[in-house]
Amino acid sequence: MKSFNARFYGNPRVYLGLVWLALVLIAALFAGVLAPRDPFAIVGQPFLPPGSEGFLLGTDSLGRDVLAGLIHGARTTLMIAVLSTVAAIAFGTVLGALAGYYGGIVDDILMRLTEFFQTIPWFLFAIVLVAILSPSAMNLVIAIAVVSWPPIARVVRAEVMAVKAREFVQAAVVAGQRDMGILFGQILPNTLSPLIVTGSLMVATAILIESALSFLGLGSPGQMSWGFQIGAGRSFLRDAWWLVTVPGIVILLTVLAINLIGEGLNDALNPRLADL
Amino acid sequence: MKNASIGGYILRRLLQTIPVILGVVIVNFLLLQLAPGDLATVIAGEAGGATPEYIAELRARFGQDQPLFVQLLNYMGNLLTFDLGYSFRQSAPVLDLLLDRLWPTLLLMGTTLMVSLSLGILLGLLAAFWVKTWKDHLISVTAVLLYATPLFWVGLMLVLVFAVKLDWFPTSGMENVVAFHEGWDRVWDIAHHLVLPTVTLSVFYLALYARLMRASMLEQRGLDYVTTARAKGLKDAQITRRHVFRNALLPVVTMAGVQTGSLLGGSVVVEAVFAWPGLGQLAYQSLFARDYNLLLGIFFLSAILVVVVNLLVDIIYVILDPRIRLR
Amino acid sequence: MKSFFLTAAGLALATALSVGGAMAQSQGGTLVQITQPEPPNLAPYVSTSGPIAQVTSKVFDGLLEYNFDLEPQPSLAESWEVSADGLTITFNLREDVVFHDGTPLTSEDVRFTIMDVLREAHPRGIATFRNVTAVETPDSHTAIFRLDAPAPYLMKALHSAESPILPAHIYAEGDIRAHGNANEPIGSGPFVFTEWRRGEFVRLDRNDNYWRDGQPYLDRIVVRFIADASTRTAVLEQGEAHIAGFGAVPYQDVRRLEALDTIEVTTRGYEMISPIVEIIFNTQEPPFDNQMVRQAVNYAIDRQFVIDNVWFGYGVPASGPISSNFEPSGLFGRGIDFSVPDRIDIANRLLDEAGFPRDADGIRFEIIHDVTPYGEEWQRFGEITVQNLAEIGIRATLRYEDLPTWLARTYTDYDFQLTSNFLFNQADPVIGVHRGIHSDRILPGTVFVNGSRWSSPETDALMNAATVATDAATRQEAYQALVPLVTEASPVAYVLELRYPTVLSTQFSDVITTPIGIYGNYAFTHQR
Repeated sequence: MKSFNARFYGNPRVYLGLVWLALVLIAALFAGVLAPRDPFAIVGQPFLPPGSEGFLLGTDSLGRDVLAGLIHGARTTLMIAVLSTVAAIAFGTVLGALAGYYGGIVDDILMRLTEFFQTIPWFLFAIVLVAILSPSAMNLVIAIAVVSWPPIARVVRAEVMAVKAREFVQAAVVAGQRDMGILFGQILPNTLSPLIVTGSLMVATAILIESALSFLGLGSPGQMSWGFQIGAGRSFLRDAWWLVTVPGIVILLTVLAINLIGEGLNDALNPRLADL
Repeated sequence: MKNASIGGYILRRLLQTIPVILGVVIVNFLLLQLAPGDLATVIAGEAGGATPEYIAELRARFGQDQPLFVQLLNYMGNLLTFDLGYSFRQSAPVLDLLLDRLWPTLLLMGTTLMVSLSLGILLGLLAAFWVKTWKDHLISVTAVLLYATPLFWVGLMLVLVFAVKLDWFPTSGMENVVAFHEGWDRVWDIAHHLVLPTVTLSVFYLALYARLMRASMLEQRGLDYVTTARAKGLKDAQITRRHVFRNALLPVVTMAGVQTGSLLGGSVVVEAVFAWPGLGQLAYQSLFARDYNLLLGIFFLSAILVVVVNLLVDIIYVILDPRIRLR
Repeated sequence: MKSFFLTAAGLALATALSVGGAMAQSQGGTLVQITQPEPPNLAPYVSTSGPIAQVTSKVFDGLLEYNFDLEPQPSLAESWEVSADGLTITFNLREDVVFHDGTPLTSEDVRFTIMDVLREAHPRGIATFRNVTAVETPDSHTAIFRLDAPAPYLMKALHSAESPILPAHIYAEGDIRAHGNANEPIGSGPFVFTEWRRGEFVRLDRNDNYWRDGQPYLDRIVVRFIADASTRTAVLEQGEAHIAGFGAVPYQDVRRLEALDTIEVTTRGYEMISPIVEIIFNTQEPPFDNQMVRQAVNYAIDRQFVIDNVWFGYGVPASGPISSNFEPSGLFGRGIDFSVPDRIDIANRLLDEAGFPRDADGIRFEIIHDVTPYGEEWQRFGEITVQNLAEIGIRATLRYEDLPTWLARTYTDYDFQLTSNFLFNQADPVIGVHRGIHSDRILPGTVFVNGSRWSSPETDALMNAATVATDAATRQEAYQALVPLVTEASPVAYVLELRYPTVLSTQFSDVITTPIGIYGNYAFTHQR
């Protein structure tokens, strides 16, 4: 059986994903250096097509640099996606672990809670949250996290229930270790691999949710993000195709990259499946 | 499985979901109260200004001068008799408004489910069949691509290409409103209008189900019982048809059930792009108008819808896998 | 001595008809109008939500109609007379009008509509008809309005979109605010309400018993509702719809549609609406309690850039609170010109003098700029304003909330510093302008009134004089004195007069025939 590294890095799709994601990360981290000016600054003629002098990807309806917007947008978009995923994972893991470990009434209550989120149309619920909290980066993170945690909770619960029955955990129980010690020391580390896979895919979903909310006019108004660029460019689809197409493709590629990496992780962590 | 126990099971399941549905209503009721601004200011705002007497009178008429818990109790009390209240903004009973919009939504959801499930399962099967060949890669890459594309973007591009440039399909709406067709012409007309929204909404779920089906098929094929069956001398095709396929369907069916709520929400965007007269649009508008009776009604109705679909999924489960017992 | 506005019905009708030529117009055709957003109901007598009247103005008639000079024209009233003191207005009604259910129109319908409905429950009617103490009905076709103070603006508010005349025998039954016909209107207009499929369309069919003989020409009007802007454009381009106004089509798309042979674009038909894009300051809190700071912001805004790049040329810089659409009637006034070439220098100087020096980063102070939640044009306008303010050392952060939240913030809690805003001048400054700057319009909880909470005894007095004056010269004088005072104090930065484009299919003629444009009744509209 090959090692994790060999499986993960030996997969050409994973490579493609990693390369693109690295580019996006570099843009996000060094936005201030790569595009020093305010991405909202009006710097040229409106509607310059891509390839125009000084504007590689053209300008938007107010004469703002699309490339500078993409670079700064990478930072906002990734930040919103990653933060909301982290929050969802933290919350979902704790709830799922408690439900799976203790079972009984705790499990019942927590499962009703996730059922609640399954029962309301979650995208509508996200819209309600953003509208009530008013659109801002922080509130987008909250809204996306609130609607994303239930799948995590279910995954963790199932894993915890499975791991709990295994010998080494029973041994720890017999040895008199404390619940929390067993849960965090023995059980949760064993649930990591499905968590990593689910989490990586959730970052991708978060990017899509952010862009859909922005499309409906509920994006963060003061910060440049990819969703914002699409929202601002959608009326000009016919006249200035690049305003929607370019950020659309960037979103597509980034979501794709994350998915490829997530699949790679999945294959590498569950080698039995990948061998088939 | 005896019929009596199925009936009892359904009843038990329905009773179990009552607290969840009530929870949905109460949580949303309270949450909406947190939102600043109210229906009276919206109605006055749409008027481009109104006198203070008028706004005060509106508030009294909407019952907003009563304490919050009285408003909640009233609402819950009415709900028990399936009285969803009155939409003051739209001057119509909430139930009527909902039923108006329900069938376009069910139509869009139904066709989307059918298209995405059947195509998704088919593609997943083919990919699993051709596993590790270029065909598998092609299907997988396409699925991942579709999965990664923003829905509204697909919608906008489809309108641009197939409605505006090629003129194959209407740009929007559910019916031709100049002709007002009757009978079969109308059915055909609606079907014609249904194509682009269905394709747009199906794309994401199709990709999801295809991936799931492929993974699920591969997982089943690797399980012990297949090896056993093979050892017993059963032919591969037989094994696949009798055991692998049926078992592999289970996660896909589960996922389809889980996605009902998401499908309803996702249709907000698609309905916006195609002017489809469904519940999603209504919900979006009523939120921004603070028309809470209407919005709560939508949450209530969609909760019931999701519960019913999940129940159906569980029953399908039993049919697919007789080993599973209803509990 | 009496002043007569008497007009013979036949004469005016002949004039109106001459627009379409003397020969008979071809009968038939379906006009598809796009209205955005979908109206919440079809009860224009209790709700003035803009989209409602785009539908119902075809179903109801008003006492009067108006020509492009905003002069009253006969409609249900074939003649009228205003007494010299402005306290008595007599309307003589047509005798051949029947409602869609076959019942003839009488003066009782007028009395009921004005006194029991509009004056009681219409959001603007409560103010418009406040001075009307009684409507007398000496015979079945004469209605006499008795007023306790003159209200010259009232004569501009009697068209079918603003003051539709209802059949009393139907609408007097039950509570007018939750009436059974709220979504199934019955009037006397050229088109009969047939069906409303929510989320899709309203269908209106030809009224065969319309009182204008031979009209309407169209068989049917369908009003469609399409939430997505680019879809609306595509639908018009495909000829699946024929008319859209009030910004329903993105301004950039209008320019492109205009180039097509099948489509024409007009900015006429908004003369009685006169929308103004503005920025209002919270004048009760620093830093905008300082007049110099407000003026500096006023100078900083690049009006022409906003017009060219947000509204794609469909506007002109505003020169004060009153729209230049009032130039023909003499009520227009010009204030300080903030669009001078050295405006940025002036603004910087004003801020220096006001005691807001730049810090090491070049920042004088930081504020939050709220944006009117009316869609993406407003977001772009806000983004430009942020850039404009940066030029004079003010760092602004945008805040974009939904309509109810923004209304509560701006008009109830006054929890804002500066916000963009959108007000219509309407048919008369008394109706549309006073509300934004008069002290008696500082009303917490009431929306679209004086949100800046600025006022002065001098300007109040001028507006009071203009409200009751019955002669045009006095009103003109008052407004010309008012406008410079308001722009100097700058409680509001009047940015631009929006010239809404209406997109029209060339298939149809005589669609926009009045200063209320698509609020008109399309009685004379016909296929080419």
